[in-house]
Parts: sequence; structure tokens; C-alpha cells
Amino acid sequence: VDPETGLSADQFLNYLTQATFFAVFLLTAWAAVRVPRRARINTALFFGVLAFIIAMQWLTAAIHLPANPLFGALTGGLLMTMPYLMLRLVDDFSGVPPRVMAAGAGGMIVSIALVAALPLWPSDAPVRFPITVLLVLYFVVLSGYVAVQLVLGSRRASGVTRRRLQAAAAGCALLALVLLLILPSTLLPALRPVWMVASRLVGLASGLAFFIAFAPPPILRRAWQEPELRAFLGRAARLPRLSSTEAIVWEITRGVSASLGAPAATVGLWDQDDQLMRYAPLDPEGAWTDAPAHLYLAGRAFSTQRALLSDNAERDDPESADVYRAAGTRAVLAAPITAGSERLGVLVAYAPHPPIFADDDLVLIQLLADQAAVILESRKLIDDAARVRAREEVTRLRDDFLSSAAHDLKTPLTTLLAQAQLMERKAERDPTAPADARGIKRLVVETRRLNGLVLELLDAARAEHGRILGLLELTDLVALANKVAARLTTDRHPIRVAGDSRAVAEVDSMRIDQVLSNLIENAAKYSPDGGEVEVRVWQEDSRVSFSVTDRGIGIPAADLAHVFDRFHRGTNVDDRQFAGMGLGLYICRAIVDAHHGEIAVASTRGVAGGGAEGGAGASDNGTTFTVTLPLSQPPGDLDTLSSLK
Amino acid sequence: VTNGPILVVDDDPNILDVVSELLDMEGYRVATAANGAEALRFVEEQRPSLVLLDMRMPVLDGWGFAKELKARGMHLPILVMTAAQNARLWAEEIGAQGYVAKPFEVPALLDAVEKLRAN
Repeated sequence: VDPETGLSADQFLNYLTQATFFAVFLLTAWAAVRVPRRARINTALFFGVLAFIIAMQWLTAAIHLPANPLFGALTGGLLMTMPYLMLRLVDDFSGVPPRVMAAGAGGMIVSIALVAALPLWPSDAPVRFPITVLLVLYFVVLSGYVAVQLVLGSRRASGVTRRRLQAAAAGCALLALVLLLILPSTLLPALRPVWMVASRLVGLASGLAFFIAFAPPPILRRAWQEPELRAFLGRAARLPRLSSTEAIVWEITRGVSASLGAPAATVGLWDQDDQLMRYAPLDPEGAWTDAPAHLYLAGRAFSTQRALLSDNAERDDPESADVYRAAGTRAVLAAPITAGSERLGVLVAYAPHPPIFADDDLVLIQLLADQAAVILESRKLIDDAARVRAREEVTRLRDDFLSSAAHDLKTPLTTLLAQAQLMERKAERDPTAPADARGIKRLVVETRRLNGLVLELLDAARAEHGRILGLLELTDLVALANKVAARLTTDRHPIRVAGDSRAVAEVDSMRIDQVLSNLIENAAKYSPDGGEVEVRVWQEDSRVSFSVTDRGIGIPAADLAHVFDRFHRGTNVDDRQFAGMGLGLYICRAIVDAHHGEIAVASTRGVAGGGAEGGAGASDNGTTFTVTLPLSQPPGDLDTLSSLK
Repeated sequence: VTNGPILVVDDDPNILDVVSELLDMEGYRVATAANGAEALRFVEEQRPSLVLLDMRMPVLDGWGFAKELKARGMHLPILVMTAAQNARLWAEEIGAQGYVAKPFEVPALLDAVEKLRAN
């Protein structure tokens, strides 16, 4: 007790609690008057009851009314409405089954009746105690139920909503505790002041908890939103680099629902070509859904380019009422995603209960939508840049292919045309002159060269369309190797066939002949100083292999990875010295691939004594190409490939 | 305009042979080179009256040859002959006086040669 004022700690606490509840009532009442929404009215009503009780106490104290049983009954009756009002608040916030609501209402009527009837009995009547216990139990059980519901709800919620549900649960639990504390005070009147102080403290805490749960000041909401918002903004810079637009949209919706404390959020992407809004699914596995631009409240936000908040989606958008009802959506918060003048889409957050969103969330969702616009716009720029690069690459490759092929074909054509016209002119000037044998020989040689190039190009084109194989038949590759070797062997490049004596596999023998010939011709071509070429054929398990080894100039390590590429010629190869379009190995690989086989290359280049140029170190160099084929081809292939023959 | 020979530069020996024989038949003096470097060695010794220049060649290509000529302060009439689609562009690039696209018609080549020699 303060000696100056004569105010006891109990009284001080009492006044503080009462003042707090009264202030909260005024705040919530003002909010309910400003924008009358169901949740706000229920909040104001809840604190209104408390404020009324407090005001009555003040009034009776001020005019020194004697303790009036009528007042006591009125206060008690009003007190007994509180659990039901609490239930209504929770219903607004996270939903309460109708049966529980009905039980709460019934309990309220019964308990008010009991409180009203209580003064009828004398103060020492034994029946008063069980009635008091019953009333307290009703109050405590209902508050406890509500507290548990709120805790469960908070587990499912996130961000600001989670905190608010936790605060509300704490408020309920504390209110139940206040009532529980009354019981011992009636049982042990000696310790009454201690219980009173305790219950006032708990009551104060309960009032504060309700206040921040149901009418959180904006500053508190922002503080609660901040961690989620920070986390989202921290991730935002990396989002445009994610693998797909779907992944980016999913991250945005996750960040938005966490920041707003909404159970669900989605993004609608505007498709300018089809004039449709494509809405992202609520879970990453779901399918996107299309809707006309104006449909849903989200569509309204997009059309008007203004953020909107609806706490009753069915009422505000009757056209789509059944969609909202089916989804259990009550409140909708939507904002347009717009970058400059380009309308990219719309950002939407849904909640099954209206009080989850507040008016200042309109500002927040617009900020989030602007952030989403930046992310999606950067993504678009990255995509555009990649598309331009890819197109340039394709153009460049096509140019290379066409100009390379054109150049190679035009060279013999130039000789042919010029030579033919030269002979024509000669014949016109001197019809009796002898035939130009050298010129005719050149025509034949160049026509053959042109024919070879045309065949090469056609094979490459066939390879590209996967139609390079003809008839598949069982072929002895040793016999085939001997046949090719006999055809191509020369004194400068003698060919030796080694390995197994027989190796039969199901192949297109003409194409395998082509591969082997090409490899042997390459071996001879790149051994300008002459030298033996070795062909080995062997069978191993269910595979047949053949290899071609030379002691030529070798292939630089940097070129090894590219020898099978179209138009690739080794960097150590003089174009003129080795004619060809650079398609030979590309075609070889295509043929081997079509047989479900593999082709590999290994090469060594002598580093000492000038190697290839000097010829002195030629034996240090060498290249081996190895082809491995399965013994037989899958039956499906056989039919299709044979039918193409 | 000098009375020097016409220098034919091409990496394809067949084209080199046919073109020289054609020019020879028309009464021109002809010299040949298989690439830009050989052509440069030639112009150091004699001044050709005209250069028929292929563009894509090993060792030193048409662009390299033209650049070297300019660097040495030599101004020779050049007739580009190339199989490339953008023959005209390339001819302009190196400051050539004309071009023929391969494969060329013999009269077109001879007309171009005659015109450049007359200038």
C-alpha cells in the first residue's frame, strides 16, 4: 500500500486492467464504426461487454451505491456471455463447427439464467457452491476448447496470422485462468487478496493478448510480417534465374502467402495472344487453369489495375460464388502485376476467414505484386536473350553448313564448266585440232570428285533424318574387312587384317563397308609418309569390334572431341592436301549409332623432333578408331529399317 | 597500266590450270600462285597488270593478301573470283575492282578481265 495515495497494489492493478480493457474497447469500437465488418463488430462487442461491466463498477463506486444483488446478477450475466462472444471471434478467425456454436449459445443462456437465479438462495445455502463450480466449469471448458482450436489453427497458419492466432489462444487460456483463480478465493477466503492480485494480473495479460490478436495495431502487424517479407525479398533477386517460369511463380506464391499470413496464394499470368489469364495451381504438381480476363475478383483487380480486398468473396463476386464456396474462400486480396505499362498478370491471396487480412495489407500486396513484376520481367528478358542467342547460333550453324557445302560443291563445278567451255571454244576455233586428252581426263576426274561430294552430302542428310540403314543381314566382319583391305591396299599404305578368324553380326553390310573404307582411307590420307594400316576384328561376349590403326600425323588432343562433328577438319590438316567435306566421320558415327554401336578414337602425337612435319618422329604418332557393334539388332528396328530399303 | 602478266591465285590446281589455259588462249601472259603468300612473293619480283584472286585459301587468304598489298603501298587491279554467296561484299571489303562468282561463265570472266585491263 502506497502511504501517500492509500492505493493498494490490488487496487492499482484493478484500475490498470480496467483502463486497458476500456481503451481496447474504444479502439475496437472506433474500428468497427469506421469499417463495419463482422469480425470487427464481434471484437467490439466482446470488449464492449467488459467495458460495460467496468463502467458499471465505476458508476456504483462513484455514487456509493450499496451492494445491489441486481447489479451483481447483471454483471455476472454479462460475464457469462463472454465465452460465447469469444467463440464467435474464433469462428470469424478460423472457423468453429455449427454444433459447437449452438452448444456455446445454449450454455450461455443456461448460465445467465443460473447467475440470475443465484441471488434467490441465501448466501450460505449449500446449493450455491456447486452452481458456482458449474458456471466456472462452463466458462473454463469453453475457453479451453477455443484456446486449443486456436493453437491448432496457428499450427496450420503462417506469418502474421500464426502470431495472431497464438495471441488469441493465449488470451482465451488466460481468461479461463482468471475464472479458475476465483474458485480458490471462495474456498480459502483468508488468502483472498493474493488470489485477487493474481487474477487481476492474469486478466490484464488476457486483455492485452486479445487486443493484439483481434485488433493488432498496424505497427505490430508490420513487425510480424517483416521476417517473412525479408526472407522473400532476400530470395527475390535469385528467382529470375530459376529453371522455369513455373518454378518462379511457385516461389512467388510461397513468399506472398507467408508474408501475408494467407493459407494460399496464386499468380495469374496474362497471355496477350490468347487474351486469357493463366492461373498457377495452388500446389506445385497441379495444372494451370485458364480464365477470361474479367473473371474472379483477381480479374477485377487486373482489369481495373487496382489492388482490392474483399472480406466476402461470394457477396462481392456473385458470378463466381460457387467457385469460392467450393474452395472455402471467404476473403480475397488481389493486386495487378504490372511492369511499367506492360500488364503481366495478377497476384492473389486467399483466406477462409476474413480477419486474416487487414486494410493495410492492400499496400503490402501491391508492393509484393510490384516485386513479382520485376522478377517476371527480368525472367522475360533473360528468356528473350537466350532465344536470340539460340536463333543466332542456329543461323550461324546453317550458314556454316550451307556455305561450306556450297563452296565445296562449286569448286569442282567451276573446273567442269570452265574446262568444258574452254574445249568448246578450242573446237570452234580449230575444228580439226586433235582431241584435248588432258582436258577430257580433267572432266572425268572432277565429275567423280563432284559425285563423291554429292553422295557425302546425301548420306549426311539421310543420317540427320535417321534413315541411313538399309537391309540388315548376318555378315562376317572378318570376311568384309579382308574384302575392303584387298580393295584399298597400296604399296605406300599396305593393309594388314588381324584378330579373330570369324565374327558374325547382324549389320547393313554396305554401310559397315563404307565405315571401314572411310576409316582406312583416312588412315592412309593422314599418313602422308606412307606406312602400314592395321585392321583388327574381334568378338567379345555379345559384341563385335573392329579397329583401324595408323602411324600417321595423329590428331591433336583439342580436336579429338570434335572429330565426329559435321564439317570438322583437324587443325593440323591442310584443307587442300586432304580433299573432302569433313562429313566422313560424321556419317561413320551416324551409321554406327544406327546399329546401336559405339565408335571411339584414340590418338598420340609425338612431341619430340618436329613429329609430323619432319617425318622423323612419325612412328611416335598414330590414331586408332574402334567400332563396337552388338551381335544383333532389336527386332522392332529390323522391320522398320528393312522396309525402308 | 603496265604490260605485266595476269596473276591467277587459287588453291585448287584444276581451276588454276583451266583459267591459265583460257587466258593464254586469249593472248594474255599468265602467272599462277596457289595462295596469298605465293602471290605476294610474285608481286615483289614483277608487277602484274591484274590479279584474279580466290578468297578462301590456306596459308594466306584473299583478305590477307589485299591487306599486305595495301601495307606495302602497292595498288593493283584485283578481280575477285569466289564460290561464296557474298562475292560482291567480299570484293568491296578488300577494295577490288570487280568480281566473278564461281562457277563462272567463261565469256563473263573474259569480259571482266578485258574491261579491267583496258582501264
